[in-house]
Amino acid sequence: MWSRKSAMLGSLAVAMYLLGLTLRNSQLVTIAVVIFVFLTWAALFGSHADVSASGRRAEEWSGEEGVSLSNVSAMRKLSSARIFEDGDVGVTLRMQNHSALGKILEVKDRVPEVMRIKDGANYILMELGPRRETFIEYTVECPLRGFYSLGPVAVRVQDPFGLFHKEKELHVYNDFLVFPKMEDLKETFVKSRVPKIFTGAVNIRQPGPGSEFYSLREYFEGDSFRSINWSAYARSGKLMVNERERDAVSDIILIVDSRAVSETGPVSRNALVYSTRAAASLAKYFLGRRDSVGLITYSDEVVSVDRDTGKKQLYVILTKLAGAMAKGNIPLQVVVNRILPHINKGSPIIVLSNLEDDPTIVSALRDFRARDFDVTVLSPSSLEFEFDAKRLDRTGYEVLKTERDVLISELRGLGVNIMDWEPDMLLSTALAGARGF
Amino acid sequence: MAMKSGDTAHLYDGKTVRSAAPSRKKLAGTASSTGEIPKDAIPTVEIPTFIESLLGGPLVPKMKFLPADKMVQNLQLGCYGVLIALGILTYIVTPAVGTLWFAITGSMAAANILQLMVVVGAVGTGFWGTMSRDARFMLTSYVLFIVSVMRFASSKVSLSQDLFGFGDSQFMLTVLVVIYAVLLVMYFELSNGVLRFSMLDTSIRTREVYVMNVKKIIGKYHRSLVINPIIAGSLAMLVLSVNTILPAFVSLFSEQTALRMEESVELISVYGVALGTLFVFLIVGGLFALDLPTHLQSWRENKD
Repeated sequence: MWSRKSAMLGSLAVAMYLLGLTLRNSQLVTIAVVIFVFLTWAALFGSHADVSASGRRAEEWSGEEGVSLSNVSAMRKLSSARIFEDGDVGVTLRMQNHSALGKILEVKDRVPEVMRIKDGANYILMELGPRRETFIEYTVECPLRGFYSLGPVAVRVQDPFGLFHKEKELHVYNDFLVFPKMEDLKETFVKSRVPKIFTGAVNIRQPGPGSEFYSLREYFEGDSFRSINWSAYARSGKLMVNERERDAVSDIILIVDSRAVSETGPVSRNALVYSTRAAASLAKYFLGRRDSVGLITYSDEVVSVDRDTGKKQLYVILTKLAGAMAKGNIPLQVVVNRILPHINKGSPIIVLSNLEDDPTIVSALRDFRARDFDVTVLSPSSLEFEFDAKRLDRTGYEVLKTERDVLISELRGLGVNIMDWEPDMLLSTALAGARGF
Repeated sequence: MAMKSGDTAHLYDGKTVRSAAPSRKKLAGTASSTGEIPKDAIPTVEIPTFIESLLGGPLVPKMKFLPADKMVQNLQLGCYGVLIALGILTYIVTPAVGTLWFAITGSMAAANILQLMVVVGAVGTGFWGTMSRDARFMLTSYVLFIVSVMRFASSKVSLSQDLFGFGDSQFMLTVLVVIYAVLLVMYFELSNGVLRFSMLDTSIRTREVYVMNVKKIIGKYHRSLVINPIIAGSLAMLVLSVNTILPAFVSLFSEQTALRMEESVELISVYGVALGTLFVFLIVGGLFALDLPTHLQSWRENKD
């Protein structure tokens, strides 16, 4: 394939040749001849490579492969197919030359744009001997959740002057999944008031037969003598009994707003990023507590993960969160109408949304509260993200902030535990704020 | 949309405050104290200039080169050397007679001065372009060199300075012109190489590219810098010696015709050169038409 350089030299040579004949100038013709010879020689014997001489990058492949690349193959191995945000994936690319000729190759293993090369390089210029192989190792850092694919491998050979090149895409792909990052939660203060009998019961925030201390109260007739707190009796002179938390399993419903508006703000700092991280952390926490956790994400469709318990459920939820794309604009009311008949009364519901561009938020959350659901809203403020990124000026910010505060106050008036989650706030702090602790 | 500073009433007009916050994507473009649209809210669209689209990319590379390494410095030195030799040869093989300046001024002295200025300009911009690794100056230098050689010349090569009496020997004249042409092409390549290897070196040092066995790769380039000019020069000599090769071939059949051909003005003129070129490249074209390079490559790839 001709490079820009060879095309320009070729055109120059033709022009000089014709001009030389017209002007009867043998110098011009001689220069043209020398250029022609240069080009011919490079085209005939140009099976070896140099880098970037054509000014074209390896990704601009247009499909001319040639014999010299037919014997080159690649294989790739990843250190892990599932990682968490900010995690690293080690990549080992094995390049093989099956031909009897040594080659100087320019190899570029294509990495998704959002990823950073942490160690090594995915763009290599190398000499690969006859019937030899080499291993290229590099590490990519994955700062954002999602489904990703590595590949294809672009290979190029050029003549030493970069006049002609041959390119090939080796269609070797490796998929991997980046889960949202999780925060360790010590205590979330979210517990159901309605017991649900299951094996492996855990505490809910109501007194009852259980093992964890809940509070002290005065002794009533019929109370077991074993539950009398003698130290408290000694202090107060009244018979006091220990109350314990009732052991039970709660159903936790996580609702993640993944509408187009949730991605407002910088790529790495927006409401959707925060919401998915929070949902992952909460899912891990509740599942660790043996609660049953369900997930609903809404964008241009409502996607739900049925309530379940255990480690497998965590992976199902994490996979759904990894694939949550910001699109569409389904109102929360639609989600509420759809899930209301299917969730147990009194189940804690945690909504993760920036509360923007949805006029049904108030009525949707009112519906939940009217049925006595314990609703917690964590609202990552994309106003702050945009203000920090200097995309919003002070006046606009103040106006919108006021509107947001009004909305939050209104929701709080409905009995919703709500927290305006600012960018630098830890999830546990935001949760504690929402629950009024 | 001009708005008074600090007046935000317009933002509430027709809106129910208790509803959800309005889309800030929309407001980012409108709400500001001055009413101006923030720069960030406007997507940037880069449209290449005419020159950029002609060259397929920016003339001035956006990549800033790191200080030249040894390889680049060597190339720069080589380029300076070639440039000096080329400047001298250009001046010798392109006398002012027949130049555009001579046609305009009609004065030999003025044409000489102008031609000298063009050559000096070509060398000067070449030097500066190579030293500062700036493609714009290099391109100017290329253009000036080509302009300097554009003359209405007689078919025979003439020299502006003939200190060594090369003008008397047709063979030496041919050699001189071939060396001049090879040097010009070498200058194109070396100056281009300075930019390419600066890019490569910067990419290596910024860890964009990893190079395994740099010496071997550079060695290949160095070898090519020696071999290619020799081959190009030899083949060009072959093409330009058509007035001796053709008669030698014809002499096998007719001595008389061969002698006449040898003395033919046309054959030693530019048309003879053109004829030789045509012959050589007809053969080369034939080889390519038969896809010989691919067969050759295929054979070399698969041999045990």
